Amino acid sequence: MREVDPWRFAGGFLSKVLSARIPDEPTHAEIPWAEVRKPLAESRLALLSTAGLSMRGDAPFDMEMERKQPTRGDPSWRRLRSDATSATVEAHHLHIDTGYIARDLNVALPLDRTGELVTEGVVGTLADSHYSTMGYQGSDTSTLENESAPEIAAAMRSEEVDLALLAPV
Amino acid sequence: MIWPFQRLIGMPRVAAIEHPFGRPFGDVGDAATQREVLLAALAVFEKAREPGHVEHLPFVWHEDPRETKWHPAEPSPIIAMLKKRS
Repeated sequence: MREVDPWRFAGGFLSKVLSARIPDEPTHAEIPWAEVRKPLAESRLALLSTAGLSMRGDAPFDMEMERKQPTRGDPSWRRLRSDATSATVEAHHLHIDTGYIARDLNVALPLDRTGELVTEGVVGTLADSHYSTMGYQGSDTSTLENESAPEIAAAMRSEEVDLALLAPV
Repeated sequence: MIWPFQRLIGMPRVAAIEHPFGRPFGDVGDAATQREVLLAALAVFEKAREPGHVEHLPFVWHEDPRETKWHPAEPSPIIAMLKKRS
């Protein structure tokens, strides 16, 4: 199988900046692992995005903080309804063109596509809640790791989510 | 996307895809591709047998990278800062 080229769309400068942060060999801690206990057709699925998505009317991700402090990203998280669409969701993200998401939420958070798979019986059920964080975090990821991530996990457990699919943008 | 971050972070299961930033599942209105990418990503839940599995998905973006527009209107604050320093 051909290996995906991670830099195909990144451009020279961004590739150089990001690749400098990636070690040649694994340096991560032990990988958390939860066995898949049910077939997909019986599982409740939740989606997560790092596109800085929030429901219209909820507080958006803080872009002003990032503009003033470029080495910091907003570490908070937002809950998204399962019936969210590009009309009811806003994307606040300074590192991508959010215009595509504004036209079709499914490019980053495929709720419609997942709903179709539920109707077809391929996926068991769609969770009531889905989630977004801000992909850019800067050098300090402690709040995201120690507060936001556990809060999202607890929210998923309360809805008896079996599988979580995170799509970074 | 940048799947080699796997070496730094250690994600349980990864579906790597060669799509531009901001559109991991496919382009605007391309429901067929969005569906196929979603199905391929979901398949990794059952395919992955050990932590850290990376599945390289075979999808090819429909545009040449030189013509693919994904950048924000202005450089992000960190990129602007780094470019100033370089």
